[in-house]
Amino acid sequence: MHPAQWIQKASIFQLLLSFALAAPVAQAVPSFARQTGMACEACHTVFPELTHFGRMFKANGYTLDNLKQVRDIDATKQEMLSLATLPPLAVMVQISDTWLNAPLPDSTDSHEHSQAGTVGFPQQLSIFYAGKVAPHVGAMIQLTYANDSGTIGIDNTDLRYANNVALENEQSLIYGISLNNNPTVQDLWNSTPAWGFPYGSSNAVVSPLAATQIDGSLAQNVAGITGYVMWNEALYGELGVYRSAQQAQLNPITGAAGPLDGTASNVITGVAPYGRVAYERQWQRHDLELGVYGATFKLFPGGGTSGAPAALSGPVNEFKDLAEDLQYQYIADQHLFSLAATRIHESMRLDASFAAGATANRSDDLTTTRVIGTYYFRHKFGGSISRFSTTGSTDAGLYPAGPNPGVITSANGNPATKGWIAELNYLPWLNTKITLQYTAYTEFNGGSSNYDGSGRNASANGSTYLLVWVTF
Amino acid sequence: MTNRLLINLCTAILFALRLAHADEIDAASRAAAQRIAVGTCASCHGPQGHSFSPKFPVLAGQDAKYMVSQLQAFKAQTRGDADALGYMWGMAAPLSDQTIVGLADYYSRQTPIAGPRGDSSLIARGQDIYQHGALADGVPPCAACHGANAVGMAPNPRLAGQHAQYLMKQLRSFQNNMRNIAVMHGVALKLQDGDMEAVATYLQSLGQ
Repeated sequence: MHPAQWIQKASIFQLLLSFALAAPVAQAVPSFARQTGMACEACHTVFPELTHFGRMFKANGYTLDNLKQVRDIDATKQEMLSLATLPPLAVMVQISDTWLNAPLPDSTDSHEHSQAGTVGFPQQLSIFYAGKVAPHVGAMIQLTYANDSGTIGIDNTDLRYANNVALENEQSLIYGISLNNNPTVQDLWNSTPAWGFPYGSSNAVVSPLAATQIDGSLAQNVAGITGYVMWNEALYGELGVYRSAQQAQLNPITGAAGPLDGTASNVITGVAPYGRVAYERQWQRHDLELGVYGATFKLFPGGGTSGAPAALSGPVNEFKDLAEDLQYQYIADQHLFSLAATRIHESMRLDASFAAGATANRSDDLTTTRVIGTYYFRHKFGGSISRFSTTGSTDAGLYPAGPNPGVITSANGNPATKGWIAELNYLPWLNTKITLQYTAYTEFNGGSSNYDGSGRNASANGSTYLLVWVTF
Repeated sequence: MTNRLLINLCTAILFALRLAHADEIDAASRAAAQRIAVGTCASCHGPQGHSFSPKFPVLAGQDAKYMVSQLQAFKAQTRGDADALGYMWGMAAPLSDQTIVGLADYYSRQTPIAGPRGDSSLIARGQDIYQHGALADGVPPCAACHGANAVGMAPNPRLAGQHAQYLMKQLRSFQNNMRNIAVMHGVALKLQDGDMEAVATYLQSLGQ
């Protein structure tokens, strides 16, 4: 194979693995409770799922507060400073134990087996600055230590300016700007990827190869600016653009944080447009949201080395993601029920990778569907059941077969992955969740049995996961 | 003795003047209150005080003095039912006296509307209890304090058009003293569960 093909293939593989290895992150932040003086249940059904009030708190820029402020005004009484006397800090700890249904082979040369269980202590430890920064400006900045990387890095971040006006007919209009590092992290509903189910999941399992770009593949490696309006707390519209803002990527000549060159992978050319429209209707204890969201990413595969860089020029890989989502919530004092669903369709035009021989097709497609039902009794005992499915066109370059030990490969080049997640939750306190979660795969990387060509079945990648999740 | 009387008299006059001043609402305060009501309170209490969920009370047309007393109770953390702790203690904490008066004024001026009509026989039974009491159980007529049409008699709240489930939850809060109001504790203790539901269903069905 030509070196360029290896580079192209490696970069796509790296892109896929970057999603596969990234544990979903989703949090609730006690510093918001300290700032507002309101209990978790005001903004969350059970963390991190937001209530309508929680969505409006976020849309209004995380700025609602009841803390004593350090203030300053100018001669026209315009606020120049409004700073809480204590910084809005919070901590989150996840401790977990994971049992894979079947252990993994050790290496290509050995058929000895790994341990099936993995303890994460911590799996994740995060520190947040989450709260008001200035009049009409708020932030949710998360720094995370994760046991897989063994380092501390930037996690989900959302900086906002927001304001609202009362229209003549007593309706409200919220408007704002978000600077964020993960498409949909700024979204208000839990049916979109960044804050979607599963809210906590293991980082010691085998993850499937295929994922759409908007489904977390570019998280923390992009910077976006989006503007949004929300009319009457019902109709929401947002438009924005994203650029690459990669972490730990150095320019090989200067050793500085940029500019990005051919050693970087999957670099956005120009800007990637992002759009979102949603409508939320409330009646009695019911709340229903229907929406669409999407983005188009044109990526240079890059991924070369300093000795053999892959130029960030010429053809690109274009990913057009368009998704629909739905969220229904029923919130009573005793019983809470929610249903969330999304379907993301991705059309790929892989001119760059195809020209380099890294994909079998010039065009591919991928569709991910998730449906989640959740019930809680008194915010204390609950459970969720979720059906997930990813299907798409067969492409032996994109979803490659590999030698032993397989596991993360696909024998037939098909991305189909389907399964279920069921979990039970107990919250002794509103800021502490104990989760027992089971994940079952009926299909994995295109097959049910021997999906990797090395004898592993989809069901072997199922797992049981115990998570203790504390935020304070 | 005369001096003490004089001091008391002066104090009373000053207090009355302060109260009178606090009740005055200028245009700027009115606009500020409207902005808070539309931009923040409406997220739970609905547009113009017509909340969707019975978790949150309807505020449209509520008696202004009652609203002031409740917002002050939230701010002072003396109203102790669960939702007061979870939501309103924090929400009311930064409100100034002037803003509280402005918000009470805003909601008292919103037009109340009748809630969904429940079972007719339940409404009829509830109306009877509301107007005449459940004398066998020692329950006095609610109308005596809340008005014949349940529109409120300051400082007692308007109940007409309120969510039935919210009313029942408050009655239970009076029963177990989470809301510590002696009169309502006595009344709610004597109310049978069925009567409670009947009265709440009747009150929800009332409009202006």
